[in-house]
Amino acid sequence: MDRTSVKIVVAGGFGTGKTTLVASVSEIPPLTTEEILTEASIGVDDTTGVEGKTTTTVALDFGRITISPDVVLYLFGTPGQDRFWFMWDELAQGAVGAIVLVDTRRLESSFAAVDYFERRGIPFVTAVNRFFGECAYTDDEIRSALELDSRVPLVWCDARDRDSSKLALITLVRHAMARLRVRAGSVPVAP
Amino acid sequence: MTFETWDGDDESAAGRFVPLYVLVNGRTAPRDSTLDLATQVVALPVDTRGLEPEYVEIVRRCANWISVAEIGAYLHLPLAITKVMVDVLIEQGYLGAGTPAQRNIVDLHLLDSVLAGLERL
Repeated sequence: MDRTSVKIVVAGGFGTGKTTLVASVSEIPPLTTEEILTEASIGVDDTTGVEGKTTTTVALDFGRITISPDVVLYLFGTPGQDRFWFMWDELAQGAVGAIVLVDTRRLESSFAAVDYFERRGIPFVTAVNRFFGECAYTDDEIRSALELDSRVPLVWCDARDRDSSKLALITLVRHAMARLRVRAGSVPVAP
Repeated sequence: MTFETWDGDDESAAGRFVPLYVLVNGRTAPRDSTLDLATQVVALPVDTRGLEPEYVEIVRRCANWISVAEIGAYLHLPLAITKVMVDVLIEQGYLGAGTPAQRNIVDLHLLDSVLAGLERL
């Protein structure tokens, strides 16, 4: 009797469409689970005006995809606020990798996510969400603005569209597998 | 320092009378550090009489395999508490745990089946 869990993190700045993407591919409506922060965060969180408040709630949205009778893939959206890094660590630990959603109107809102996964060597793909309308930038412009390594895949997607979100997930899993093969030495490392 | 003052609110965040830290005997982290949000658990055929109602509720939720995150979401329990409670239930033999995500990231065979599963969607 066994049951295996696989995790993928869906990251990106506030309002980039993380929960929308999770919802478009999840077999259940996204669920929300909460973590309660206590006094430890005071000094980090701005508690001006709410001095009596000793807890803050961080909400976490997630969905699931049953891959086979014994494998389930969980998709976890990162909390909207970048400052809850301790939650990111928990989500990223053991994850296959991450999809970093990008809103071209606010590229900077995804800097922190790109940086986070890059520094930790966690495989990720950037998914530019078309949801926000026509984009005036080319792939190269977005790559250079985000200072993306040339090996990091960049895909265009519409987070509301199941096939489009599916493609972003597939791109990530392929990328993670390619990196593993390189690391295992079974494939020559690209120059 | 404010952390030892009581604000008079018994029904704080989670809206319950017995503080959650009592239910988990003051434990703050699961004994098994591989138990993460995505780890799935299932109820074992064990008599739950004698368990606190909050624990029984968790065991009931686990008739089929379910992740720690899902239990927390359905029962409106904070994640850290859910993890500790699930861990207690595993330790005491009420729940069985599946393979956590951590062990899988270097398993190409598993990633292959994830890929195939996604392509079938």
